[in-house]
Amino acid sequence: MTRFNDLYSEADTFLHRLDPRVKMASVLMLSLLAFIMSSLAYLLVLLTFIFILLLLARSSYRKTAFAMKFVLRFMALIAILWPLFDPSGTPVLIRLGPVVITEPGIWRGLTSAIRVGCLATVWYILIFTTSQRDLVRGLVKLGLRFDFGLALAIALRYFPAFGTVMDSIIDAQRSRGMEFEKGNIFARARKYVAVLGPAIVSALKTADMLALAMQSRAYGARRNRTYLRELRMRLSDYVALATVLAMFVVPAVAKYVLSVPI
Amino acid sequence: MVSGAETEGALDDEIDKPDGAGFVPPAIIARYGVLTALTAAVTFATFIYFAPTKGYFNMGDSMVFFCAFAFGWRAGAICGGVGSAVADVLLGAGFFAPYTLLAKGSEGLVAGVVGRLKGGCKLAKVFGVAAGGTCMVVTYLLCEVYLLNVGWAPALAEAPGNVIQVIVGGTVGTLLAWYVKRVYPASGAL
Amino acid sequence: MNAVVTAQRLPVISLQDVSFSYEGGIEALKRVSLRVAKGEKVAVVGGNGSGKTTLAKHLNGLLKPSSGKVLIGGQDSSRTSVATLARTVGYVFQNPDYQLFCTSVEEEVRFGPHSMGLGRDDESALVERSMKLMGIGHLREQSPISLSLGDRRKVAIASVLATSPEVFVLDEPTTGLDTVESAQLMATLDVLRSEGMTVVLITHEMRLVAQHMDRVIAMSEGSVAFDTEVEEAFSDSDRLRRCKLLAPPITVLAQRLRAQGALSKGAATPLQLVEQVVRVRGERR
Repeated sequence: MTRFNDLYSEADTFLHRLDPRVKMASVLMLSLLAFIMSSLAYLLVLLTFIFILLLLARSSYRKTAFAMKFVLRFMALIAILWPLFDPSGTPVLIRLGPVVITEPGIWRGLTSAIRVGCLATVWYILIFTTSQRDLVRGLVKLGLRFDFGLALAIALRYFPAFGTVMDSIIDAQRSRGMEFEKGNIFARARKYVAVLGPAIVSALKTADMLALAMQSRAYGARRNRTYLRELRMRLSDYVALATVLAMFVVPAVAKYVLSVPI
Repeated sequence: MVSGAETEGALDDEIDKPDGAGFVPPAIIARYGVLTALTAAVTFATFIYFAPTKGYFNMGDSMVFFCAFAFGWRAGAICGGVGSAVADVLLGAGFFAPYTLLAKGSEGLVAGVVGRLKGGCKLAKVFGVAAGGTCMVVTYLLCEVYLLNVGWAPALAEAPGNVIQVIVGGTVGTLLAWYVKRVYPASGAL
Repeated sequence: MNAVVTAQRLPVISLQDVSFSYEGGIEALKRVSLRVAKGEKVAVVGGNGSGKTTLAKHLNGLLKPSSGKVLIGGQDSSRTSVATLARTVGYVFQNPDYQLFCTSVEEEVRFGPHSMGLGRDDESALVERSMKLMGIGHLREQSPISLSLGDRRKVAIASVLATSPEVFVLDEPTTGLDTVESAQLMATLDVLRSEGMTVVLITHEMRLVAQHMDRVIAMSEGSVAFDTEVEEAFSDSDRLRRCKLLAPPITVLAQRLRAQGALSKGAATPLQLVEQVVRVRGERR
């Protein structure tokens, strides 16, 4: 299986120091910006800006490569598939039976690919620079109920562990002569039960232990939970928030109020 | 938030009642947490072994259906929806996460409601898979066409893959629910 | 040496200059060479992270060497599927919960021989024999997951045993067992050996190694630190300490007595120590 590694890495960049709520707002604003822009040139500028931010996150080469592999594959898929399915516009470049490839189709495909590239990459800025703890804490501060936040924290914490558990189960079943690469889809589905069944039982047992641990640490004893280290917005956080807000609002106003094509 | 069947155990009640704080009991939080994690892990990990299309085919739906059938529509919606969305974020398709939350969440919700009718008999499960699966396929289709604006042709091209995913995932999910109920009755799975 | 003995000493498993690195680039095995002969009882010991489990996973082809060669029953592990190698080498995982998935004990034990496609009669005979050897016949109808840890482990071992492998690899099978359960388990391993099976045991428990094993392979930082007969293995306490190991108390006691001139040989088990003391007293009388 694809081995999961925590994409967050410890570092001391301005992106790491930024309040998680500001980072979440930025992801949202930049995503909306990518949606409202329809010019290839402006989208390229936005993609470049996002890439620069990603580089400033100072993630390791390996993690960046892991992230980019998915993003680039997706972009290529769209850029190639779009013109095949979009025969509108002229001039027609290739006509092969039912397949018609036009020049505007290619441009629209590229535009869509770049937009999707922006949308996909911007998430990594958040994921690369925000620890799971800050992520959950930010969401709770934004109004997510504390107990739901805790469930989410447990989910993020155990996600890689269950990947390892499934690896071990697959190994154990292979050692007993099970061959996962053989058989039709339903024969495989049955083998799949042999992997997922033990994984679920092991997960449910983990949950029982976790529940006991939570009770023994007085979970739910008081409603308004406090934290040792509170999230607090600093001047730099406000500056960053204002900047991203302006980055979204200015083009939005230009497009929808002043009717500037962007 | 808490249904009758899920609040068994005196400890939960003790913690839950005195101050009336209304927290979800720890047993439920822990169970939803790990099932969400497992859904994400399965979505993330499985396309290697079971990929006839080598694309975004995965077995995550089996976990959505399992959660819905074994633990009800809430688990189906929350663990299935959030787990699949978390996997999207980690797979680099973070912008897809909101749509996935909607698509898989509704799949789990509907499957949980329909699949448990008449005590969760076989026919109910078949209809549960069909109804939940329809929700997922249609939600993805509409989101892709109207929100991501990829056009009808590519969106429809993806639909058959999703349908296969539902059929296989529904079969495995039903088997899993039956399996867990049989070997680990203490889990309270139906 | 006569022909019978030579035939018995043919290696079932041989590793030649095997190195292995995990995806992240950590080198877990560094040029390991060793041979395991038919009928041997080998303990693989070493601290956590020394490469024990990585080594064990090479013994049935779950991991393929980055360089070097692993021969299992004469087959190159890099070119043979795990399913095929599983007929020669049975592997019992540390956590039985990762292995058990059937809804009854009997079904669980039957799974291995069934998927290997043995005939129905052979299959049933093997299943009955393995369940009898592990003493779990009375549990046949029960769900494996609801059993105690000791019983779950017995089911896991029986389910591998039923595939009648030549070599049996067990990864820390005594973890979480109480004293009686682990003694029972070791007694079963003695029975397996008496039936000519080769046993490779990965463990932290030196007392069990001293009592039940013939040969010790100590791993340290991905290399074989030493590979000797069990008695010699526990004779050098500095060497043991470097491998993060500690000799069992009986062995240490025997060594101290020997250093004082009270004994002429070392001892690995209480029984051996008693024999030594009785012999020395007899000589002095």
